[in-house]
Amino acid sequence: MSDVVFEIKNLYAYYGDHCVLNDINLKIRSKRITAIMGPSGCGKSTLLRCLNRLNDLIPDFSLKGQILFRGQDIYRISNLTEYRRRVTMVFQKPNPFPMSVFDNVAYGLRIHGITKKSVLREKVEEALRKAALWDEVKDKLKKPAVQLSGGQQQRLCIARALAVEPEVLLLDEPTSALDPIATTKIERLLEELAEQYTVVIVTHSMGQALRISDEVVFLYEGKLIEYGDTSVIAKTPKHEVTRQFLTGKIG
Amino acid sequence: MGQGVIALRWTLRIITYAVFAIMVLTLAIIVVSGLPHFFRPGFFTEWPRRAMSEGGIFPMLIGSLMLMALVFEVSIPVGLIGTIFLSEIAPRKLSMVLQSLAATMNSVPSIVYGVFGLSFFCVRLSMGTSLISASLTLSTMSIPFFMNSAVEFLRAVPKELREGVIALGASKLQATLMVLRASRNGVLTSLILTLGRAFSETAPILVTGAVFYTTKLPVRLTDPVMTLPTSIYAIVMNLGEESQWMAKGMASLMVLITIGVYFLVQLMRRNQRE
Repeated sequence: MSDVVFEIKNLYAYYGDHCVLNDINLKIRSKRITAIMGPSGCGKSTLLRCLNRLNDLIPDFSLKGQILFRGQDIYRISNLTEYRRRVTMVFQKPNPFPMSVFDNVAYGLRIHGITKKSVLREKVEEALRKAALWDEVKDKLKKPAVQLSGGQQQRLCIARALAVEPEVLLLDEPTSALDPIATTKIERLLEELAEQYTVVIVTHSMGQALRISDEVVFLYEGKLIEYGDTSVIAKTPKHEVTRQFLTGKIG
Repeated sequence: MGQGVIALRWTLRIITYAVFAIMVLTLAIIVVSGLPHFFRPGFFTEWPRRAMSEGGIFPMLIGSLMLMALVFEVSIPVGLIGTIFLSEIAPRKLSMVLQSLAATMNSVPSIVYGVFGLSFFCVRLSMGTSLISASLTLSTMSIPFFMNSAVEFLRAVPKELREGVIALGASKLQATLMVLRASRNGVLTSLILTLGRAFSETAPILVTGAVFYTTKLPVRLTDPVMTLPTSIYAIVMNLGEESQWMAKGMASLMVLITIGVYFLVQLMRRNQRE
């Protein structure tokens, strides 16, 4: 089996008439951290949201081209909810559900049909451990999730995503609303998770991309400028815009 | 600071106090003038007798409550579905048009609803002067009011929450349930306000379901009903001095209930903020 999880072919995306992604061709590999990077408005979030078809919710959004997930066109799959379970997403702003810590993590399990209490308890604990949150919340499982700190909330959202046993974890600037300590915790966590999961992270911070990613995708004004091994691109960018971004001249 | 500014400031202050004093006095006079009658034996538990000059307000109170229960049963499902449609399903333009329509319906005078109910429910649908006609008429008025208020609470739920649910592989329906869960306090507030308003409306039921006097409580939906606001109107307009105390007692009760409703709403808003 090839280690390519996503293959994106000639992808164009539009909001109304406005073209936000322009002829993207890209492969995302299994069990690595791929960072999508670029200045604001370059289309990086749109690209990420295409991967689990979240843009379907936006009126006026349209798309051309193909996204293959393990060889299968994701815009032709029949079971979208099952697909979204396999390719799940964590957002920029922590978005805990208005319920307890436990129920937040159990939510995804419940909607996918797991109701047995002992199984739920086991899987919730496992997910919270994976998200490095268990020790901090094991005594507050019944407390409302909004009472956790911002960083804890974001790890809770990661735990919630992991609980449904996905293959891919998409993260849209997951640390931009967090302080440096919480950010470091999440970055370490992502590095651990990449041993088991394919991680795709959109980040505005170049430092973050360099610290944690194996591969980096650089977008500029809706176009893919270059992509490949992070350390290679960091040292020897092929394109002038990448160089300018790396040196902080644009961003 | 010039003397003119000081004078202006004091003038504004005095006007404000005066306005508040008038409002408080109005409520106080109504409550105080009716309150002593609460303690008459049988005020809440007896039927009125001798052209409403003796007895109590039992059938009016029960009638009003029955009406509220029916309005509740009709407005909640319909209003909630409408609210969900406006906030979660309808395309933005359609939603805007529908919402301004609902806002317009809020400013239609209530007697117009009464006349509509009379010609549509009572006559066209042959429901007659009845509990069902009155409650449907009141619901026609309450639903847009409820939707207008509740939809704002649904819209205030951040987009990230909906997306978070969908991103886990949930259906649109499950996302909508999550939105309702997140806005439940606000929706409940809208509901209480709606019922509070329907409770005190007089004109729409005056011509569709309320009667001045009946000898029994309504047992079927097609029976007419006595209610608090319409009985106040009837007593004040038609009866002599010896019956006015009953109108005062009912008015006092209604004001107290309304104050209670708003107090409850404030309490819930405070809880929501915490």
